Amino acid sequence: MQTLPTLPAQPSPRHLQWLLTLPKLGVVLLMIALVSLLWLLHKNEAEEQRAALIKDVLWLEQNLRFHLSGNEEQLQQLAQEMGTTGDRARLFRLRASHLLKNAPEISQLVWVDRRRQIVDALPGEQLPDQDLEGFGPTATSRALDLSWRLDKPEYSEAFFVEGKRAYIEFLVPIHAERKIIGALIAVYPLDTLLNNQVPWWFTSKYKVEIVDDNNTLYASKTNIDGDSSQLYQIPLEPPGQGLLLRITSYTSPDNTLQRLLIAAIVLLAFGVFWSLWLVRDLMKKRTLAEDALRAEHAFRAAMEDSLTVGMRARDLNGKVIYVNPAFCRMTGFTAEELVGQSPPMPYWAPEHLAETHAMHDAVLAGEAPSDGFEITFMRKDEGRFKALVYEAKLIDGNGRHTGWMASVLDITERKAAEELARQQQEQLQFTARLVTLGEMASTLAHELNQPLAAIASYNTGCLNLMRSGRAQQDELLPALEKIGVQAQRAGKIIRRVHDFVRRSEPKCAPCALDDVIDDCLGFIEADARKRHIRITAHIPELPPIPADRLMLEQVLLNLIRNGMDAMNDTPEAARELSICANANDEEIRVSVIDRGCGIAPEVRDKLFTAFFTTKPEGMGVGLSICRSIIEFHRGRLWAEEFSASPSGSGTVFLFTLPLKTP
Amino acid sequence: MNSPQAHLVDDDEAIRDALAWLLKSRNIACTTYASAEHFLDAWCDTTSGCIVLDMRMSGMSGLDCFDILVTRGSKLPVIFLTGHGDVPLAVATLKRGAFDFFEKPFNDNDLVTRVEEAMAMDAELRATHATVNAVNERLSRLTSREKQIMEQVLAGKFNKVIADELNISMRTVEVHRANLFDKMQVKTAVELANLLKLGR
Repeated sequence: MQTLPTLPAQPSPRHLQWLLTLPKLGVVLLMIALVSLLWLLHKNEAEEQRAALIKDVLWLEQNLRFHLSGNEEQLQQLAQEMGTTGDRARLFRLRASHLLKNAPEISQLVWVDRRRQIVDALPGEQLPDQDLEGFGPTATSRALDLSWRLDKPEYSEAFFVEGKRAYIEFLVPIHAERKIIGALIAVYPLDTLLNNQVPWWFTSKYKVEIVDDNNTLYASKTNIDGDSSQLYQIPLEPPGQGLLLRITSYTSPDNTLQRLLIAAIVLLAFGVFWSLWLVRDLMKKRTLAEDALRAEHAFRAAMEDSLTVGMRARDLNGKVIYVNPAFCRMTGFTAEELVGQSPPMPYWAPEHLAETHAMHDAVLAGEAPSDGFEITFMRKDEGRFKALVYEAKLIDGNGRHTGWMASVLDITERKAAEELARQQQEQLQFTARLVTLGEMASTLAHELNQPLAAIASYNTGCLNLMRSGRAQQDELLPALEKIGVQAQRAGKIIRRVHDFVRRSEPKCAPCALDDVIDDCLGFIEADARKRHIRITAHIPELPPIPADRLMLEQVLLNLIRNGMDAMNDTPEAARELSICANANDEEIRVSVIDRGCGIAPEVRDKLFTAFFTTKPEGMGVGLSICRSIIEFHRGRLWAEEFSASPSGSGTVFLFTLPLKTP
Repeated sequence: MNSPQAHLVDDDEAIRDALAWLLKSRNIACTTYASAEHFLDAWCDTTSGCIVLDMRMSGMSGLDCFDILVTRGSKLPVIFLTGHGDVPLAVATLKRGAFDFFEKPFNDNDLVTRVEEAMAMDAELRATHATVNAVNERLSRLTSREKQIMEQVLAGKFNKVIADELNISMRTVEVHRANLFDKMQVKTAVELANLLKLGR
């Protein structure tokens, strides 16, 4: 039945949730992998750095030891030679200057005797810690003691001079003839040692420090600033004495780049995650929109299915693109049979083909009447039905005019109902006339009796004369003529009654209102006489009006009789009913004025309602029929109070009739 | 006017004319009136004959007219003409003393016959009425003593008995009796009794 694209089946919410979770999981896993990779890399690098550091440290330590050992050996050799030679002073001078030249890390070579007096020193003659002597045995003295006691070369403890430079000394005892005669002291300022022995490339990578167990810094050398990352320390042997060589490595600039890279990766990962989050939100919104669309679609489908109005859409070329179930029911064709059809459509009645086609073209040209048009369509079973069609533009989502949407109403039944209602209305009017006549029957019988009685009397009189033989022609003739007149009078009454109850189609022919009023008065006169009511009619010269004479008569008779009924309790002298009429360019206005009891306010509203009556024997249809008759003539009927009534109360019924037919 | 005739009251000119014509064909004189008011204006004590009255008229109805006539003491017989369906009303009028009623359309000669009968009755009534008037007039001339004597005479008593009862002489009774008979214009006691039967 539907020609609209159907939406894909909705995946289960659980499935959808899975689908949504998967990318999130992937992102998290990716992040973990990245972070662990980075960590691994970092760890590897640190290990490598440490390995390099250790290697370099070991190398440096070896180098230092090599130098120091070389110096030791030379000093030991000098000490031995000085023990054996006689000219010790010259030898010391010669060799010491030579030694100092080769080992720039040695700042001073001192020769002391057994009494610890400096014999000679190059350069200068004072030991660096001589000033400290007053505070007990200096580092030099302690080292000398130890060296002489053990009779072997010894390093002193490291010491500061004036709190600034740290020094260490190497002491070698001098033997002469198996007796210790003194000692050679090599003074190493520790900073100079580092300056001379640590190469430049080493210091551009590391910071080299000499510390002791108490973390007292004796000397350091470095060319760089920055944060330390790794640290390695080994005992400085020689000289021992608890000194430690501490090497600190620095983070290389390469490292910064790497960190930047990591940061970028993390950032990008976050970006990915964020964009996924956005996508998730978007998908959520989309799901909601799809749900709404699906609900809307179902709603629309239900609406279409429940419609009793046929809907048919056509494109700009007149091809059917959509029909709803109601239209299919109406025509008997299925949607498949109709959609895609071009004119002439299968539901066009062949006998109205030209007319239908013309209307079709008018619709496509945008000239269809906006208040709809009636047309005859054909069902599949070839039955015909009257349809009321409203056409409207079909506008798509972009505001483009893409075709025409028509709503089609099957008005066959409505037409039939209207016809039935009209017939019933006519029947009712006819019945009302019969009822009116029934109510007037006694008056009419009296009315009819008058001429009949007169005729009978003339007739008997004539017979009497003729039987008595006294009959003269000139006596009989006028009586016979009078009989004829009375017979005509009776005939007129009967004709009027017959006309009034004649069943006929309503026909609007020009009729003179005064004739109609005369006829009514003829009907009502006898009744009025009996009830002592004077009826006066003031009818000026009026143009003929297009109306059904019989219907007008019925209305007038009804209004006059109502007026008469209203005056039952009015004093006889005041019982007067007047009929007035006047005309303007457009309409005639007729008033029926009584001086009766008036209309109670609570009754006034219901006055024209069917089956509402204040009379015990009334049916309550009179005024409602009157109004429908006047409205049939496109006039109006209403009631007003007769405020100027001489009897103090009364009612005016007014109706208008247009002078021209539309 | 004072001669006996049919008085025809109907607001329908045709009916008036036709009935007048009919009555004339049977040699009955008649006068026509277009309304009850007209007739009442014309009515007087001496109006005689009968009235043919239409029940339903514009203006005063036949029935109202009849009631007024009764209150005025009219003894004129009234024949009502009624329309179809007025029969119960007509019967009620009969009970109140109307002479007859006819439903329209009526058998005309029957109506004329009833008119004649009504007129005859009126005439007889009028004659009787005249006798009674005369007797009453004679009675009014009697003295109280004469009336006393008359009662005794009518009771069939002899002069002697009367004289005894009234404690007067025979002679006096005879004189009163002679005067009584003279005034009442009768010759015998039987004649007197007959006369009084009519008059009282």
